[in-house]
Amino acid sequence: MSTDTKSAGVKRRDFLKVLGAAGAAGTAVGCSSQQVEKLIPYLVSPDNTVAGVSNYYATTCRECASACGVIAEVRDGRAIKLEGNPEHPLNRGALCAKGQSALQGLYNPDRFRGPMVRQGNALVPTTWETALQQLGQRLRGAGAGAVFVNQAESGSFPAFLDQWLAAFGAPPHLAYDADAPLATMEANRQSFGVAWPSIDFTAARLVVSIGADFLDHWGPVVPQQLSWADARGKLQDAPRLVYIGARRSLTGLNADEWIAVRPGSELAVANALRDAVGGNSGGIAQAAQAAGVDPAQLTRLATELAAARPAVVLAGTSGADATEVALAANAISQATGAVGTILRTGEAVTGFDRTASHADLRALVQRMAAGAVPVLLVRGANPAFTSPPALGFAQAMARVPFKVSFSSYPDETTDLCDLVLPDHHALESWGDAQPLAGTVAYQQPTMSPVFNTRQTADVLIAVAQGDAQARGGFAQPTFREWLAARNGGPTAFAGLLQTGVASGTVLTAPAPARAAAPPPSVPVQQQGQGDFFLVVYPSPLLGTGAGANKPWLQELADPVTKIAWQSWVEIHPLTARRLGIAAGDHVTVTTGGAGTRAITAPAYPYLGVQPDTVAVALGRGHTSYGRYARGIGVNPLVALTGAEDPRSGALALTARAQVTRAGGSSDLVTTEGSARQHGRGIAQAVTAAELGAPAVGVQGEGATSATTTPPQGLESGSGQLADPGRGGEPQTTQAGEHAGTGRESQGAGGAGAAGAAAAAGAHGGGHDIPGMASHEFTQGLRSPVAAEAQGLYADSASKDKGLYDPNHWSGMANRRWAMTIDLARCTGCSACVVACYAENNIPTVGAPWQGRATSPVTWDERPGANILKGREMTWIRLERYFEGGEDGGSDFETRFVPMLCQHCGNAPCEPVCPVYATYHSPDGLNVQVYNRCVGTRYCSNNCPYKVRYFNWFGFGEPARRQYAFPEPLNWQLNPDVTVRGKGVMEKCTFCVQRIREAENRARLEGREVRGDEFTTACAQACPSRAITFGDAADATWSVAQLAVDRRAYHVFEELNTYTAVVYLKKVNHPPAAAPARA
Amino acid sequence: MATMAHPDARRPNLPSADVQLPGVRDYEQVDNEITATLRPTGGWFLGLGVAVLCMLIGAAAWTYQIYWGLGQAGYAPPVMWGVYIITFVFWVGIGHAGTLISAILYLFRAGFRTTIYRCAEAMTVFAVMTAGLFPIIHIGRPWKFFWLIPYPNWRLIWPQFKSPLVWDVFAISTYLTVSTTFLYIGLIPDLAVLRDRETNPVRKRILAFLSLGWRNSEREWRHFARAYLFLAAFSTPLVLSVHSVVSLDFASGIVPGWHATIFPPYFVAGAIFSGIAMVFTIIIPLRKWWRLEHYVTLNHLDAAAKMCLFTSGVAGLAYLTEFFIAWYSGNPYEQQYFWNRVFGQWWWSAWILLICNMVLPLSLFSQRLRRNPTWLWILSLFINLGMWYERFVIVVPSLSHEFEPWQWTHYMPSWVDMAFLLGSFGWFFMWFLLFAKQLPLMALAEIKEIIPPKMHAFGGVGHHLAAEARPAAAKGGHH
Repeated sequence: MSTDTKSAGVKRRDFLKVLGAAGAAGTAVGCSSQQVEKLIPYLVSPDNTVAGVSNYYATTCRECASACGVIAEVRDGRAIKLEGNPEHPLNRGALCAKGQSALQGLYNPDRFRGPMVRQGNALVPTTWETALQQLGQRLRGAGAGAVFVNQAESGSFPAFLDQWLAAFGAPPHLAYDADAPLATMEANRQSFGVAWPSIDFTAARLVVSIGADFLDHWGPVVPQQLSWADARGKLQDAPRLVYIGARRSLTGLNADEWIAVRPGSELAVANALRDAVGGNSGGIAQAAQAAGVDPAQLTRLATELAAARPAVVLAGTSGADATEVALAANAISQATGAVGTILRTGEAVTGFDRTASHADLRALVQRMAAGAVPVLLVRGANPAFTSPPALGFAQAMARVPFKVSFSSYPDETTDLCDLVLPDHHALESWGDAQPLAGTVAYQQPTMSPVFNTRQTADVLIAVAQGDAQARGGFAQPTFREWLAARNGGPTAFAGLLQTGVASGTVLTAPAPARAAAPPPSVPVQQQGQGDFFLVVYPSPLLGTGAGANKPWLQELADPVTKIAWQSWVEIHPLTARRLGIAAGDHVTVTTGGAGTRAITAPAYPYLGVQPDTVAVALGRGHTSYGRYARGIGVNPLVALTGAEDPRSGALALTARAQVTRAGGSSDLVTTEGSARQHGRGIAQAVTAAELGAPAVGVQGEGATSATTTPPQGLESGSGQLADPGRGGEPQTTQAGEHAGTGRESQGAGGAGAAGAAAAAGAHGGGHDIPGMASHEFTQGLRSPVAAEAQGLYADSASKDKGLYDPNHWSGMANRRWAMTIDLARCTGCSACVVACYAENNIPTVGAPWQGRATSPVTWDERPGANILKGREMTWIRLERYFEGGEDGGSDFETRFVPMLCQHCGNAPCEPVCPVYATYHSPDGLNVQVYNRCVGTRYCSNNCPYKVRYFNWFGFGEPARRQYAFPEPLNWQLNPDVTVRGKGVMEKCTFCVQRIREAENRARLEGREVRGDEFTTACAQACPSRAITFGDAADATWSVAQLAVDRRAYHVFEELNTYTAVVYLKKVNHPPAAAPARA
Repeated sequence: MATMAHPDARRPNLPSADVQLPGVRDYEQVDNEITATLRPTGGWFLGLGVAVLCMLIGAAAWTYQIYWGLGQAGYAPPVMWGVYIITFVFWVGIGHAGTLISAILYLFRAGFRTTIYRCAEAMTVFAVMTAGLFPIIHIGRPWKFFWLIPYPNWRLIWPQFKSPLVWDVFAISTYLTVSTTFLYIGLIPDLAVLRDRETNPVRKRILAFLSLGWRNSEREWRHFARAYLFLAAFSTPLVLSVHSVVSLDFASGIVPGWHATIFPPYFVAGAIFSGIAMVFTIIIPLRKWWRLEHYVTLNHLDAAAKMCLFTSGVAGLAYLTEFFIAWYSGNPYEQQYFWNRVFGQWWWSAWILLICNMVLPLSLFSQRLRRNPTWLWILSLFINLGMWYERFVIVVPSLSHEFEPWQWTHYMPSWVDMAFLLGSFGWFFMWFLLFAKQLPLMALAEIKEIIPPKMHAFGGVGHHLAAEARPAAAKGGHH
């Protein structure tokens, strides 16, 4: 301080300086809105851990039985993101919403912290030693009566478990999976000898789905979706999809045609189609009458089936005749050449092979009720919730003297247990799986356990080793070593873990013996009574309930109905009007069966449900299962009697029912504003014929000209944007011209197409394909920024280019980050939304306690209260627009549009921000600076796409009741991305952290960023491969080619926003001679 | 009121410059009657108590909102602006009539302004003070509001000067400064009167300081008149500019229903309209409570009501023009929005607006109703409501029905919004009531100008002299 050597003390001036500085510093620190936190660096870093640098571990997803491969990104010892393993043959790098949400199971705040034991009515913590001792004692006394219910899973563990059970003299375990499509599997076994052939849609010309929701939950969804998207990506040669069912599921919405049959009539329809394909079309009239559809529609389908080679019929109905339907479907598939081409029986998916049926569960319930089960062990399954209460599983459990749960979470079954030995989460566990015949996928812990849990296999080993008789069979002290020993020793095993997948076999247990029931002599009667049919279906997100404790999945709007945090009853709008039911009115559905109860939920008028049918999704209505699941929605299983399909033992999910209006109503927690586009051309489509496919049955001038004219996009070729010579003239795009591009070909058939061609011609060229984007759309990408970046307007004499100077030292102006979204591939599955939640630390806002104050003392505690106010934070959202069906008919089309920040080149949000919190980066990003934002929200008002989201509450502040990441959910937060505070605007950043990471990596390696080197979280996850991200100014990126595709268009191009997101029009495949809707 | 025998009752349609005060005899009467209003009464204390209570409710709501976050307001994205911006524009609009009456009408020599202008000016200052709070209340991080102000900082970050919100900061602060100055300058002679009549030495010193040593000399009057004229001329463009700038908050957005070139004149007309209504709302009860009906005569009210009718017509024309342009533009977004505004989900708010602002003021074509203070007061309440709804109709239905149909939504204010609305009235009236007991709400000096001075030395001729002088035109000429 003082340089005065004479003075020993502190000079007054220095003292005042220090005082002033200290005071200022203290004030500055004290004024900070953030709590002061400590950063403690590692003194000795753990192996392979560098602070701030991610490790990646290949492991296996266990959220459903498919066993997809995942790569877990682990930062500083915590798994923060799951992505598909590109090496894995099943999911090839993609991952569905459920799989990505496994992280929220891992970090679920309601997980058991350690073993629990029942004392009176409560479960109290105990120690592992005590718990294991108790389990060992009970098992020794149980002998052959002990029953183990395990989640259906592939891999070595089931066989290991059976060995262990055998060591205690107990019978093999029951592999329970309420989601498994048992009837289809049974039929496939009979028809093809395998439970689940791989489905290759790319080979198909026609796909008929009879209730087979292969994009929702029917079988291994991710590979099916990948294949389906690849097939649809073929555009002109893509297969047509016809959906037959009472409810238009997500798969149904992706279909080109829906045949809305009554529940229970599927068998008649399938048989009639089978006979018709075989040459006898006599049964069609009768089937059509039973189904309540136009016979002509079925006749045309039969003709189409007979003509299309190969065509496939998939059946996944849920009635009591489901196996019969599936057998009929398989017969047609065999006749239409699907086997070996589309249905690849040689590459069987084996994940579901060993699943026990509902009948097996019923047998267990009978034994339990009879007092024949002294010990029940349950792991990874929740039969007390996922079986109909009429079955009496919970009551039968009361007759079991000792019940053990290995569940990680308090759920309905665990609540009835005496001992809880919480299992590791799959991401903390060792294991293997068999996704396909001859392929082994490995599972390894991605991080050390969050809580004091133990892997069940290790618990079993410990119990066995504590038992004198059972000890012999378990040489290795842990399951990991057991696995390593099976896989060639620790070194070889470590090598296998590197890729996470290898060819080979797992230790398999014999499938449970199942007596093949004879076909029923009389048609199976529907259970229940009433004028309506109740169709219960597993939610594509929550399954039969396992997903309900994960806020991402609760918050994610249902892909079909767009409802979150709530149960609903789907009812046809005309039926609803007839019954005087408005949207949100409470509706009671009763089947009247023994042991059933009524379900009451708000009505959702839905065009996609057959008029005599009401549909309710499974997954909600938990009475336990943690804070995010308990008390939300209803469980429709309470209305079912538990009737079964006798051939497969599957639970029948349809019943006759009565529908009455209950008093009261609730607001529907929906993200849907208007389901119609009002002619605004947001989701545009063309027909395959217009694209220039060989005209099949579509006649007309337009179609002909379409086939003879070379497509504009192909003519101009790729690399167009990088060509500086081409765009010398400024944009001539006029609003009036472009308002029409999406809507002008709405007319019927060839006439409409011809009209559009004429209209397009009048625009002065470039529109030579009817319904096609004009060539000017590419100028959208050549925004003022991009144009300068490419030097189109570069005036070397001018010095006034600022950051946009193409020769700017940063080099950023050479790039234009952009994205294409192919609506022909997008299925609306919403996996991208969850990926975005995970990557960008987006808070969920719908939990009941996150509502707002309705008065100074009372709060809006309705689940989804914030979503009712439109305050969901999904940076990317799936808009679902309906076209047609205004009359209530079944002929309507659905278009899904993932909507995210369009990163406009001429962004309306930027000039209105008074504090420069949002501005344009030289590489084309519309940047949002959270720290600079004061929250005027003007940017959002001025955003035509409405993709800016505001932090209404302290969703990121632990002290607030709205906190979205209660410990340890916050462990998942991506350290590369800020957790936003209250009062600031946020939005899609094009994963700017990934862009900058890639740029930094390239710089460190002394090279340029390579084409397609990295991608955004949404594009990475997309199981349809619909999203492509990259540098549109660099032809080495795929996006540069896709952006000039002839199907490309910008949303609201007439607003001159010059968006960086380019949509590629959906391609429709209308039935021959049917009107096109484009 | 109507019962008062009034010489003008037979010939009420005077040119506004001719509005006289036959019920006022001399300067003493003016001084006595007007300064009598400064004595606190029980009713005043009650009114102030209610106003402070309302203000405190608003303040409590703000504390609550800052603690929890802006989500406590009723915002339903994409309706990102709601009651706060509506109320902001409402109060800015109220603030317009004051300057119009005191400055523009002064320049136009409109005599009917004399007895109401001080009240209107005070209203202006407090309304702008009220309005100025709302941009701060409405932002997500109000503790950072100063980032909107261009101040030198080491980060070299300036506000985005393209943003209308930054223009707002300048417009509002300029307007507040100028209108406060104008109010104060006009007050100086009156402050001197109060100083002379004050017995409390402390208050006397304060008043002496504030009156800048006014001695009533001819030279002072000449300077005063010049300063007043200059400020009137200086304020006049502000009347037009401030609300034009506020209207650009909307017009420079691309939102259907906002993006219209008509907005600046439309907003200015609406603002003057609402300001005059607010003058009625305030002055009509005051003249009755203070028994000053012979100052604010029916002729004054009549003349102001005509201006009200005129501005209603201008605003109404602007409403209809918006519909015409929406149709004529051929822009489907605009067309669907305007249809939705009147016949869709927001029909009720649009019809409140149209009825209150266009239909009910048509009653002012009737001279009887123009001269009926009770009706004028009731009408003024409807106009205030209608003008609040005008801003509601601009802000909420536009945002709730934009380009993206998937994001169409509803909006319902929460109790916090309503607490702020209540609090803003409490805040405004708190200041107004405090002002009313400290300083005269009618300009002593200007009233004296239009009444015959007592000129004992000249016997009865004084009356003739006064009658010859054009009072407003020769301000200060008789002192």
